Amino acid sequence: MALAAVLAETSQASAGEASLELAVKATYLYKLAPFVNWPPEAYASAAAPLVICVQGADPFGQVLDRAVSGQVVGSHPVTVKRLPRIDAESGCHIAYLAGGPAQSQTQALQAVDGQPVLTVTDEARGGGARGIVHLLLAGGKVRFSIDARQAEAGGVTISSKLLALAVAVKR
Amino acid sequence: MTPRLPWDRPDRRLVNVAWASAVALLAIGALLAGQTELGYRSQAQRQAEVQADILAASVSAALAFDDRTAMREYLDALRVNRRLAAAAIYDASGQAVVVFHRSGAAAPPTHIDVLSSRFSHRHVTVTRPVAEQGQRLGAVYLETLPEPWTTVLARHASLALLTVLAFLLLGVVTAAASQLQARARLLAEANDRLREEMAARGTAEEALRQSQKMEALGQLTGGIAHDFNNLLQVVHGAFELIRRKADDTAKVAAWAQNGIAAAERGASLTRQLLAFSRSQKLELRPFVVADLIGEMRELLVRTLGPDIKLSVELEEGQALVMSDRTQLELAVLNLAINARDAMPAGGGLTLRTGLHSQPPGDPVLEAGEYVELSVADTGEGMSRQVVERAFDPFFTTKGIGKGTGLGLSQVYGVARQAGGAAQIDSEPGRGTVVRLLLRRSTAAAELAPARGERPPILAPAAGRTILVVDDEAPVRVLAGETLELLGYRVLQAESGAAALALLEREVPDVMLFDYAMPDMNGAELAGLVRARLPDAPIIFASGHADTAAVEAALGGQPTILRKPFNMETLARTIAELLS
Repeated sequence: MALAAVLAETSQASAGEASLELAVKATYLYKLAPFVNWPPEAYASAAAPLVICVQGADPFGQVLDRAVSGQVVGSHPVTVKRLPRIDAESGCHIAYLAGGPAQSQTQALQAVDGQPVLTVTDEARGGGARGIVHLLLAGGKVRFSIDARQAEAGGVTISSKLLALAVAVKR
Repeated sequence: MTPRLPWDRPDRRLVNVAWASAVALLAIGALLAGQTELGYRSQAQRQAEVQADILAASVSAALAFDDRTAMREYLDALRVNRRLAAAAIYDASGQAVVVFHRSGAAAPPTHIDVLSSRFSHRHVTVTRPVAEQGQRLGAVYLETLPEPWTTVLARHASLALLTVLAFLLLGVVTAAASQLQARARLLAEANDRLREEMAARGTAEEALRQSQKMEALGQLTGGIAHDFNNLLQVVHGAFELIRRKADDTAKVAAWAQNGIAAAERGASLTRQLLAFSRSQKLELRPFVVADLIGEMRELLVRTLGPDIKLSVELEEGQALVMSDRTQLELAVLNLAINARDAMPAGGGLTLRTGLHSQPPGDPVLEAGEYVELSVADTGEGMSRQVVERAFDPFFTTKGIGKGTGLGLSQVYGVARQAGGAAQIDSEPGRGTVVRLLLRRSTAAAELAPARGERPPILAPAAGRTILVVDDEAPVRVLAGETLELLGYRVLQAESGAAALALLEREVPDVMLFDYAMPDMNGAELAGLVRARLPDAPIIFASGHADTAAVEAALGGQPTILRKPFNMETLARTIAELLS
């Protein structure tokens, strides 16, 4: 009982921390956008939306929608798409690869390999897959490492400002 | 007397202009200082803004991903800027995320709502947005340290120095100008004093000339009176003879001729005396010296007396000098009188005119051509001491009452006036030579009045009536008889009143008025006559010395007969008026 109570407390506390962590990650998704340049063909038009895709099991729920709501990057309004699986035709600019039964993180990564899609993987999601941006916890804070080579392969340019902030950069 | 300062006003205007330009300079200086200050401020503001923008661009990612360590590093990097007092980074909600401020400087606000950029109290405060691709991420805040007063002063020092110098210069100019003005005033006053003194001196000189003339006249009188006596003796004798032997017509004519000749000599003597006594201003006119001496010959002979032999040697080139004729005549007369007095036992006087060429280098005479007039006597001569002082006014060796000592000083004055000099060569026992060097003039000689007799223009006298008015019966009767002899009908009146009464009855063709009459003089009478008969021909007879005074009294150019006149002159004057 006592253990159960402790467990419950712990799970509550960790649930709170986890939700804060998720919220931060949710904002990070769109905050990455200003520091990234997509090739012109990535947008259908100047006013075309910047699409953030959440592939697989969505961990954010409403948190992401709220965070993204009303955000504009350059001339592009930010929208969110939730897809069980993604590919080159999905129209994603940023893709958070959560992985799911329809498509694993690794499969998703392969599906958009060489495409101008900023892939984001999360250490917290487990699995060995690593996107261009890999979110991780460092010193109690959500940080990220960047795989510049992968980005370059997809035609995505990442601002040096962002690179400077990364805990590790793979070139 | 107000000192006249013709350049006083422009001078003040100059000073005013200087002040105006100083004020303008000050205004421009202030304007420039203001502009410099504004320029500096906007530049300082701009600098801070640029720095803030650089900071904003640098921290955008760190702010976006809440990397406080990175933000702190960026802020710390700013510390190297010693002019920075404080800096801060705010998140999108305006909440301070990282702050930094130097000790002594106020901490940046913990929250900001609006962006601003301002310069106040010598320091700049700037807040700039942090944004990436239109996404507002937060803001940065920069505050500079207040600019030290020394820097502010240094910035404006050159301008301030210039302004101070300008005013210093202005002060100097004003002081100098006022000093000049004071000096000018003193000068003007001195000038006025000098002018007054000159006027006083002019008056004194006028008086001196008059007294010199009077002295010469006094000197002349003795000799002339004697001469006159002789002339009167001739005239008197002639009439005596005519009265006793009136029937001997041939002899009567000869005696009358003698009498007339004597009277004419007397007339010429009085004419010259009158010319001298005339009180007139100096009139510098060109004339021929030789002619003047020639004309004076008669007078000089009379002045010198029978014991002194006069010889005259005249230059024939008609050389001109610019001088006052009367004054030069007087000078010659003075020299003749001096010579006469120096030769009580008789002797010789030589008057010589010639040309003299003066080479440069003389202390008194300018180089050039001169007419030399020398008067040499064979008298007792003068000692060196006397020669040295001879030209001094009031210096005389003559006894009391015999001379005023003005004669030779007058001679010297004339020579100087004619642009020349006077010199004396004399030794005791060897006579005296006085040399007048008169600057030769290139002006044309004044036409001397024609001396030749003009042919009489005789209008028919018959039937013409002449009115003769003279208070002196002998003169009136003589004139009347002379006119009757010429064939005129003559009316006579002894006063102006009588003449006016006579005019009530009859209007004559010509009227002959004596000028000087008691009760009513000729001019007054003429005025009354002309009021009734504006075109009446009137002749004035005048023995008065000053023709100019008579002309002034009569107005216009009246016909004047100078007394004594002979029959021919009277006849011609009347005939000319009638025709």
